[in-house]
Amino acid sequence: MRKFLNGPWVLLMPTLIILTCVVLLPLLLSLWTSFTPFKLTKPDTLYRFVGFRNYERLIGDLDFWIAFGRTVLFLAIALNLELVFGLGIALLINKITYGQRTLRTLMMFPMMFSPILVGFQWKYIFNDNIGLMNNFLREFGVIQPIPWLVDGILANVSIMAAEIWSSTSVFAILLLAGLLGIPKDPIEAAKVDGCNSWQVFKNITLPFLMPFVFIAMTIRSLDVARAYDIVQMMTGGGPAKRTELLWTLISRTGYVDAKMGMANAMSYISIFLSIAFTFFFFYKLVEARQRLSYE
Amino acid sequence: MLRLFLSLVLAVSFFGSFSAKAETELWGDFSGVTLRVKLIGGGQYEGLYNEVIPWWEENTGGKIEIVTQKNHFELDKEIKKDIASGNLDFCVASNHTSFASQYGNIYTDLNNIMPASVLADYTPLILEHSTVDGRLVQMPRHSDVSNLYYQKSLYEDADNKANFKAKYGYDLTPPETWDQVKDQAIFFSNPPDFYGTQYVGKEEAIAGRFYELVIANGGALFDEDYRPIFNSPAGVEALQWFIDLYNAKAVPDGVLNYLWDDTGLGFASGTIAMNLDWAGWAGFFNDPENSKVAGDIGLVRAPMGSGGLRTGWSGSHSFSMTESCPDKEAAASFLWALTSNKAQMIEARGGLSPTRPAIWDAIIAEKKAEGDEFMLMVFETFKMSLAEDAFTPPLIPEWIEFTNALYPELQAAILGDKSPEDALATASKKATEIMEDAGYF
Repeated sequence: MRKFLNGPWVLLMPTLIILTCVVLLPLLLSLWTSFTPFKLTKPDTLYRFVGFRNYERLIGDLDFWIAFGRTVLFLAIALNLELVFGLGIALLINKITYGQRTLRTLMMFPMMFSPILVGFQWKYIFNDNIGLMNNFLREFGVIQPIPWLVDGILANVSIMAAEIWSSTSVFAILLLAGLLGIPKDPIEAAKVDGCNSWQVFKNITLPFLMPFVFIAMTIRSLDVARAYDIVQMMTGGGPAKRTELLWTLISRTGYVDAKMGMANAMSYISIFLSIAFTFFFFYKLVEARQRLSYE
Repeated sequence: MLRLFLSLVLAVSFFGSFSAKAETELWGDFSGVTLRVKLIGGGQYEGLYNEVIPWWEENTGGKIEIVTQKNHFELDKEIKKDIASGNLDFCVASNHTSFASQYGNIYTDLNNIMPASVLADYTPLILEHSTVDGRLVQMPRHSDVSNLYYQKSLYEDADNKANFKAKYGYDLTPPETWDQVKDQAIFFSNPPDFYGTQYVGKEEAIAGRFYELVIANGGALFDEDYRPIFNSPAGVEALQWFIDLYNAKAVPDGVLNYLWDDTGLGFASGTIAMNLDWAGWAGFFNDPENSKVAGDIGLVRAPMGSGGLRTGWSGSHSFSMTESCPDKEAAASFLWALTSNKAQMIEARGGLSPTRPAIWDAIIAEKKAEGDEFMLMVFETFKMSLAEDAFTPPLIPEWIEFTNALYPELQAAILGDKSPEDALATASKKATEIMEDAGYF
């Protein structure tokens, strides 16, 4: 006992207790509820074990799998576009020598807005009747209003535009940090050897940046896979489920329909999506680092 | 020993320029008591609190602590979370007749708390709607039903009259049936600048509008055992009405994302000819500072469906007292104050429909005395529709969950993704699962 009290376990205990209370217990509780018909308004249902019934129902629930597939597609497109725009902004800001700090601060402005506010603001921009976008297009002769938030493709594009506007700066700031850390010698040597700008970017800058790219991808994939506020504000997952993502569905099931057991079963399936993306990006991160060290 | 509880006094209350009939008041000495309350927020609702809370505190010595003030859908989620966590540390909360049955037994049966003489001051039918499983779980604040607002000048225009008669073969007058609404909406529409009408297009809102049209067409949502029966000719006809207006561009393209604020502000913007809406919007619509149609508004009772019934989806905002409240006497007094003659008169002056017969008489007398023809028309119309046309949705805990299953299917049919029959068949299947899970059959 004394040995235990004097050992490293004692030092680790506060951390283990906090992690158990804050992370492990809520996770276990939510996992348990996914095996019950738990309804928020009927607390007694928390103790009724129904085995895999919620999961079995979800396997045959087409609405859930369509929302799952749409979330994967949304994530893939949004992440890649954010990478392209973020990289472009980072490269441009890295080039300038005057006012870089001011621009870096300005670039972070969208991140400072709460997602709910971003959702409201973009809902107004894309409103078919009084929205800025349709009024702007009207100046150019597009008289018939475009139903941005109704059409299946346009509604998803509109939500993606809001998401990208709000979060591209995450990529830009991380990639800019990467650019600032790249040693100048290999770039200058390549230029002396006659490489053009594209060759320098492709063979020197980009490989140096790849670890930063994958870190940004990992962080943002977790964010986007949990996308809720902006979608909820702009369309609520509708109309006719055309913009339904996993978390609008899960939130409605859990908090409006009060079916928290089913919502938690959905959450546990959707967690696999986040784990898959995180695993993939970490794998690519390690690969990029190894390649850098070989070179 | 109970402290002095509820000094029941029969008093004649005087509010400004009118006097209402005798009211049973429910005061007491609640010095040292603080009531924690969760209230519905928003411009339309908060004026009451600013007047009644100081009034109650001054007369009883008690204090009110507002824990939460948010829109009803957010409040609903919060209370569900409170139930799940067992953390019901508040005494009074806003409620609604459509929501109340979800909350189980967390709210006290007010039949055991409120003296019969207090309850006698409210409209009996509304108290009946406020009752769940024989328990009176809420005191009604104001009632809601919708009627049809329209731009008067459109109906007075000689060209409109002649062109409409030539096209449809009957006179252009404010509509009596929903088929006439459709004809007139299509006739008036000139998209994208002007639309004949609009409807709320998502969540419980469109489900409720569909429900009342099914009833007006002679159908029903459920049979006596709560088996869904809305996939019927009456249901298809109701859904087709929404589809026809959407396809004819007689409603804005974005209507499926609209909720109450969108339709209210849309009519006030002057770009909508007819608007089925609640009483609470009347004052806003006729206020020149907020509305482009102020001074040009007509109002008729909600039109009839093919079954010869008028639409009349109705409900009442209310206040409830938790079973766990440690100061039930004080909470009862506060519930009374929030729904008293004084409180209801404050809200009635804003256009809301009272739940006390005395206030109907008082507000109509006041508007007559003021010569306010518009508000007089509003109160007389809503009084009649609440008395003759109003009906509640099924007062079952599954109502909101059911509407969440129904509305995406209605939207899919309106957008042309599905036929009305397919959409209603899918919704009916989902509704059957919900009712089966809930143990109805």
